[in-house]
Amino acid sequence: MYEGIRSPAIHMPKTMGDLVSAATRFPNATFWAGGTYLMSRHDYYPTRDSNDIISLSEIPELKKINRTDRFLEVGSMVDISQLLSVGKQVLPDLLQKTLLSMATRILRKQITIGGALCTPDLRLALPGSLAVLNSEVEVRTCDGPRSDSRWLSVSRLYDKSGALLLARNEVLTRVRIGFEQENFSTFLSAGNPMLTPSETVIFSLVCSYSQSIVHSFRFCFTLPHGGFYISSEIEMLVRGLLLPLSPVQVARITRSLSLEIEEAHQPISGIQKERIRRFFESALHELNSQSLSEQ
Amino acid sequence: MKIECTIDNKHLLLTINSNKPLNLILMEDVEGMPLNSRCRDGNCGNCVVLMDDEAVLSCLIPAFRLKGAKILTFEGYQKTRFWHDLERAYEDSKNQPCPRCIASKTLIFESLLQMMGKPETGDKGDDVPNTETILSELRLNTCNCLDAEELIEIFTIAANYRRRRRVRRN
Repeated sequence: MYEGIRSPAIHMPKTMGDLVSAATRFPNATFWAGGTYLMSRHDYYPTRDSNDIISLSEIPELKKINRTDRFLEVGSMVDISQLLSVGKQVLPDLLQKTLLSMATRILRKQITIGGALCTPDLRLALPGSLAVLNSEVEVRTCDGPRSDSRWLSVSRLYDKSGALLLARNEVLTRVRIGFEQENFSTFLSAGNPMLTPSETVIFSLVCSYSQSIVHSFRFCFTLPHGGFYISSEIEMLVRGLLLPLSPVQVARITRSLSLEIEEAHQPISGIQKERIRRFFESALHELNSQSLSEQ
Repeated sequence: MKIECTIDNKHLLLTINSNKPLNLILMEDVEGMPLNSRCRDGNCGNCVVLMDDEAVLSCLIPAFRLKGAKILTFEGYQKTRFWHDLERAYEDSKNQPCPRCIASKTLIFESLLQMMGKPETGDKGDDVPNTETILSELRLNTCNCLDAEELIEIFTIAANYRRRRRVRRN
C-alpha cells in the first residue's frame, strides 16, 4: 500500500550539544516538538518527501520551568497542561485564559509551547497573548561550532503576514514571560483556527491604569492566516484617557481601528472585520465596567 | 523502523515507518483491531486510545513515540475493572453512545474519571470536573449521538461508581 515510502530517520538528541550537532549534520531535518500540528496536516502521511526528524522530547533543558522575581522562563518543550499546572498565582491572567482556550485537556497534554509558537503557516492563540504580555523567546542557531542564541520579542518571530521568520537551522528553546501587573485583561476568540481559519479571530488585551487614567494599553488581534494586528496608533490613542470612556470615545476609537484594518490588512474576510469591531468594542465596555466597579 | 511496544497487554515487535500515525498502525499492522478512523487530522475524535494510561488521539501519535509505550484500545479497556463503572453508567442511564463513537467516548469518559481530584490549573479545585469541562472534553469527539444532558448524566453515574470503588479500595 505504501510502496516506495521512505521511513525517515529519527534523531533523539539528549543534550543541547547533541541537538546542535544533529541539526548541523542533517540540515534538512524537521524539528519535532509535540507533533500535533504536523500530524494534523492532510499531507502528513503517506508522503514521498518526508524529511528526517529531530525529536526534541529527550532534552531535559527544554522541559524546565524557572521562576525568578521578574519573570517566568519556560522551556519550549513544556506542554500546555504542565504550564497551566504552575497555577494562577504565577501565570498572568491573560495567559491562563489563553492556554485554557487551546483545544481540550487531552490535546493540551500534547501541545508544546514551542510547537504552538512555531507552526509555519498558521497563527494560533498563544503568540498574540505572549506578544501583548511583552514576552521574549530565545532562538538558538544550530550552525556547527558557531552555534549561538539570541532573545527577541514574540512579535518579531513573524512577518507582517504572520509567516514564521525562523531559518531552517534555528530552534526556539525558551520563552520568558514578565510579571507585569495589569489591572485588566481580556481574551476573546471566535471560530476554530484549524477548521475555519478565514473566519477566526483571536483577541488579547491588557490594560493598566491608576487613579482612572490609562497608562498602558496593549492589544493584539490574531488571524490564523493573516498574522497579527497590533496597532501602536490605537494604543497611543487610549493611553492617557480617563476611565470610564464615554460612548463617543468608544465609538471613535473603534471606528479608527476599523479604518486602520481596512487600509492595512488585505487578507481579511467580512466576518473577521465584524468580529474585530465587536470584540474591541465589547472589551472597551468591559474595561469601563471594571473601572466603574472599583470607584 | 523496529518498535517494541505493548498493545492491549500483548508485547509486540513492529516493523513500520517511523512517522506512521498510531491509528493507521492499529488498523493495518496489528491484527484484530476494529479501530476505524481515517480522518488523520484530529478532527473527528474517533481514534482515542489510552497511551501509558492517558487518553490520546492516536492519529496524532507517530510510530517513533511508541517505543516502550503501553497502548490500551477500547477492546483492551473492556477487559479492565474500570470499564464496569462506565458499563453500569450506560445501563443505569439507558443511554449509550452509538457503535461508531462508543470506543472514543468511553475512553474520554475514563480520562475524565481519572481527572477527579487532579485539577489542571494547580489550584485545589472540586473533586469532580465541572459540566463545562466535561462537555468541552467530550467535544473532542464530533459524533452527536447523545446530547449534553445525557452525557453529563452518564458521567455523574460513572463518577459515583468510581468514587465507591476508591472508597472500597481504601
